[in-house]
Amino acid sequence: MSGACNDPKTFKSDLKPIWCPGCGDFGVLQAVYRALAAIGRPTHEIAFISGIGCSSRIPGYTTVYGFNTVHGRALPIAQGLKTANPDLLVLVAGGDGDGFSIGGGHVPHAIRRNHDLTYIVMDNQIYGLTKGQLSPTTPKGETTVTSPYGSFEEPVNPLLYCLAYGAGYVAQGTPADLPGLTALIEEGLRYPGFAFINIQSPCVTYGDSEMQMKEQRAALRPLLAEGHDGSDRIKGMDLAQQYGRTLHTGVFYRNPTPPPTYDQLVRERQADQGKDQPDRRRALDRFAVRH
Amino acid sequence: MINDICIGMAGSGGDGIVAAGEALLNSAAAAGYHGMLTKSFGPQIRGGESSCRLRISTQPVLNPGSELDVAVALNWDDFLKFGSELPTDARSIVIYEESAKTPDGKLPLKIAPGEAIAVPIAAIARAHGGDRAKNTVVLGLLSAWFGLAPESILAGMRKRLKKKGPEVIAAAEQAFQAGADHARANPLKTARLMAPPAARQGVWLADGNDLTAAAAIVAGCDFFGGYPITPSTEIMQTLSRDIWAYGGSLLQCEDEIAGIGACVGASFGGKRAMTATSGPGMSLKTEMLGLATIAELPLVVVNVQRGGPATGLPTKLEQADLFQACYSGHGDAVRPVLAPTSVADAFRVTVDAFNIAEEFQTPVIVLSDQEISQRKETLEPIDTSTVQLVERRRPTPEDLAGGYKRFKLTPDGISPISHPGLAGGEYLAAGIEHNESGAPASGGANHQRMTEKRIGKFAPLLKRRELFLVEGDADADLGIISWGSSAGICREAVQTVRQEGLKVRILVPYLLYPVAEEIFSDFLKGLTKGLVVEQSYQGQLYRILRSFITVPNGVRPYCRAGANPFRPSEIVAQIRALAQRSVP
Ligand SMILES: Cc1ncc(C[n+]2csc(CCOP(=O)(O)OP(=O)(O)O)c2C)c(N)n1
Ligand code: SF4
Ligand SMILES: [Mg+2]
Repeated sequence: MSGACNDPKTFKSDLKPIWCPGCGDFGVLQAVYRALAAIGRPTHEIAFISGIGCSSRIPGYTTVYGFNTVHGRALPIAQGLKTANPDLLVLVAGGDGDGFSIGGGHVPHAIRRNHDLTYIVMDNQIYGLTKGQLSPTTPKGETTVTSPYGSFEEPVNPLLYCLAYGAGYVAQGTPADLPGLTALIEEGLRYPGFAFINIQSPCVTYGDSEMQMKEQRAALRPLLAEGHDGSDRIKGMDLAQQYGRTLHTGVFYRNPTPPPTYDQLVRERQADQGKDQPDRRRALDRFAVRH
Repeated sequence: MINDICIGMAGSGGDGIVAAGEALLNSAAAAGYHGMLTKSFGPQIRGGESSCRLRISTQPVLNPGSELDVAVALNWDDFLKFGSELPTDARSIVIYEESAKTPDGKLPLKIAPGEAIAVPIAAIARAHGGDRAKNTVVLGLLSAWFGLAPESILAGMRKRLKKKGPEVIAAAEQAFQAGADHARANPLKTARLMAPPAARQGVWLADGNDLTAAAAIVAGCDFFGGYPITPSTEIMQTLSRDIWAYGGSLLQCEDEIAGIGACVGASFGGKRAMTATSGPGMSLKTEMLGLATIAELPLVVVNVQRGGPATGLPTKLEQADLFQACYSGHGDAVRPVLAPTSVADAFRVTVDAFNIAEEFQTPVIVLSDQEISQRKETLEPIDTSTVQLVERRRPTPEDLAGGYKRFKLTPDGISPISHPGLAGGEYLAAGIEHNESGAPASGGANHQRMTEKRIGKFAPLLKRRELFLVEGDADADLGIISWGSSAGICREAVQTVRQEGLKVRILVPYLLYPVAEEIFSDFLKGLTKGLVVEQSYQGQLYRILRSFITVPNGVRPYCRAGANPFRPSEIVAQIRALAQRSVP
């Protein structure tokens, strides 16, 4: 690693992003650099795991250990990594399709196991990489290349989804408010347990014109300004119902008393079972027949 | 005196027939015999019919045996449900529950057995502790008629029942004695007493799944991710009990994709990882195997094969996942495939799998099968002190000093691999084709080089003759090739016909893929006839060999679908017939 761990530039790689000019993911990347600098851990102690999609390209643009995996499976891979290497800081990223369509089945389990992971989803309500198909968060009625007559489907609500399964930290941000997004990612990284941040990251090429940066800036409704400090889960769920209608930013819920993480329980189990420091070479002794 | 005995027993769930088989195998092993136990159950989750096959011998045994020497039927309905799994012939001694006599007094067997003995097993049991003592009465009968380790059986019984108190032990001993007394009062027409075993230095007893799990511990497995599926689940169960003590960890995942995904993550993190599954789970893991191949991450995937596509036959033996193991997944990808042939092999194959995975930075598939996974087998003690563990090639300080190249093109195609936590080794792992540094690259020349690297790196593996077993006559013109649990059947058949004076040789590959063309071709040289024996309808190994090397026309597949296992006697007959045939 070259450069100081508290300098955002330290986390920027030489790889040039393939994103379209103006893509919201550029802003997300900036926020990630800044949040990692605020945390200040060296690049080799950080792993950044993603699925497949425009958004999932993000680990390559950082200098930490990155893994651009397969579509929808970033979370299981990150959980295996974190379980086996609990000292790492593990950040997970993907798109709305990656996380809530093909990978949707993994999200509840990551949440209930409560690994200490931070999961950011760049929610552009569209399949960007494959050029503009219906995504699980596309609003009903929206025209896309695979819903030329308008979508017939209700969208998934990623915020309610994660709140309902009991995630300890659930927030929403946008690159339209970069300082706010940076703070949310940093807080997610600091939260001891599963943290989810839904990011309204506009797709300039295939996305809805109503969801572009300029429009978002005008529509921002910070939760703090609404008097919601994130400590009340039920209130957070109530506010989260407005997903798709009101652009709330901030923390919907932050568990004030975080339960132990999976990683902690693993360490306890290892310490307990391993007290006598058994020798692996003796693992076959139990097969000896004795009467 | 006899040196080898095959006993098949069947009853309904509550009869404890499998427990009796286990007790007998344990006692025989403790007395110094070699042996093997396979179990089979009806489709019911609990209860229903159950059966076991037990083979006990003064010599090492390679398979569960041929037609039964002794069949025990607690009732005919249950016995007959197992069909070809409990075959009797004109030499068999059939012992059956007296009250289960058919109305016409005839035995419901196609071939009249050598001797049929009706025993009032239930009545004897009732006089000595009740219906639940039926299996103990059976043990008494068998031990007295066939000279099977009575002292050892009693000692085992006392140990098992210790917690239940002296009264329970006394009742069990009485039931056992009553069975033995009945046998002594009604001797067999021709006595068949087992010869005493040779003195042995320690005997081990294990089943394939349990030994695979323990072997993984010895092989340094740090992480297991998986999802339950018959007949592989015991591997995860055992590791979920044991792995923590060695600093390892385990995730029971939401599905098999996540199971192998978690292993890919742990391996990316520098850890030795394993998953285990069966056919349906293997199908789900395919995409992730491709990821591990292109990201060059070591990983062991055990597929305990069961029968059929989809749900198929979850509790039956078949060897029909070889095509899948070799060819599933898109793109040009080669993944080593290994197969044990016995419980004892499960140890070395598991250790080899970890070592090959780490050395070549690749997923390795272990094709176990239902029989090996579940059968209990005596083994010679395994000396773990000589086991060598291979570590993945780590970057040197020079590799890390500026511009570390994760996928560096080296002469042997293997690049030093770093892992999160290692300063200076940061890189981007990806399912996307990449250049030497790991950056995405879509050019054809780069893709050609990288594919060549990922496939070419296996060249040394193809020369490892220790991954193949060759037995028999080098100058034979008749040869057998067989793999997995079928191989143990063929090896015995080859021994038998060689004792009759036939010249035969046999090749048993532990490494099935990539195909070691030279080793197979060397074996086939000089053969004009032979058989490739495998439990799959299509004869999958035969077809794979044909696509890589020239197989003499006289070497033919001998194969059939699963749940109807081969027997040594059947293969012996095939070899004899083949030996008679002249090949133009
Ligand atoms: C198994 C599989 N199915 C389909 C694809 C094709 N694919 C790649 S990315 C993607 C969707 C991308 O949408 P999203 O996850 O929202 O990410 P975005 O590009 O919008 O950031 C699809 C369908 C794939 N790579 N793998
Ligand atoms: S297609 Fe959309 S999401 Fe993808 S890079 Fe372009 S703007 Fe961004
Ligand atoms: Mg998207």
